[in-house]
Amino acid sequence: MTEEPTKAAPEFFHRLKVLVVEDSAEMRRLLDALLRSMGIEHVILAQDGEGGLAAFAAERPDIIITDGSMKPMDGYEMTRRIRASDRGADANPDVPILMISGHVDRAFVTHARDQGVTYYLVKPLLADMLYKAIIAATSTPIHFVEKPGYRGPSPRRSLDARLPEPPFR
Amino acid sequence: MKHSKIGSRLAGHETDGNENPTEVRFVRVPSIAERKLGSEYVAPMRLDPRILDQMQATIRSLETEYVETLSAQVSMLKVLVEPACKGDAEAHGRLYAIAHDVRGLAGTFGFAVTGRFADSLCRHLEQGDKSGKYDDTVIRYHVDAICDTLESPGTDSTISTETLDALEKLIAANRESMRAAG
Repeated sequence: MTEEPTKAAPEFFHRLKVLVVEDSAEMRRLLDALLRSMGIEHVILAQDGEGGLAAFAAERPDIIITDGSMKPMDGYEMTRRIRASDRGADANPDVPILMISGHVDRAFVTHARDQGVTYYLVKPLLADMLYKAIIAATSTPIHFVEKPGYRGPSPRRSLDARLPEPPFR
Repeated sequence: MKHSKIGSRLAGHETDGNENPTEVRFVRVPSIAERKLGSEYVAPMRLDPRILDQMQATIRSLETEYVETLSAQVSMLKVLVEPACKGDAEAHGRLYAIAHDVRGLAGTFGFAVTGRFADSLCRHLEQGDKSGKYDDTVIRYHVDAICDTLESPGTDSTISTETLDALEKLIAANRESMRAAG
């Protein structure tokens, strides 16, 4: 008998804890609402990288969704610190970090990958794009490297920007 | 459960010559679904169309509120564009912040063309941030185009695309002339 694959049911999402780090109040509200409509009840919100680091240390979320450009600390620096092995208990090599950015240029994607970003989504944010990224982040076994100064997804792996379908791009 | 390889051949491929392969370790941990669901979890996880429907409904429910926000943001762009072009750093920063917001959200709520003009404006401003030089004409054209997408929503998409292409060419020409000028 073939086993049925698991459907991404609300019961699963009830158990997830997601940290959203985003400086735009509108985008924060949208992400919060979209995650809750998926059945994720435990959503933590932070307004920039520093707030994100503090919330990460306090709450230990299963997934982080972050903007790229923020002040004073951006999403790249926050990711770098989360993957920095010298940060002890505040570091984490395997938490999936989904970056949602307006920048499609390869240089930004490469920089994100090098800091330890797991998935790179390009704005505008669309429901199916977010949903698929969360499914991928939660259902895929996690591989990471440990080397001096860094613990996280391999910086040598291929990371493609996930683009919205036309007419959005 | 944690699987690891120490100094594996794969790890050797990962090094760039400055790292000692024996200091690079590959680790595999179970997926979040495996950890949360245990034996209940059977890969692969399937998408549930009902959840996607709920997410689309959420976006629709926020649309009216967003249209008001977008209108207010576009009105503010009109206010900020002149002082920003005359060198007011605060106005310039606020103009970029609004354009960045519009770039990120307009497309989500069905204002794809508005979002694309905002994206183009952001890229021009980011390019200017690097060189320290901005073309005021390009900024004004962008703000006009963004306003136009809201004030004349029925505009033929071909015209919008052509306008966007023209702005991109203007930006590229501007970049070339700046590069030539050193």
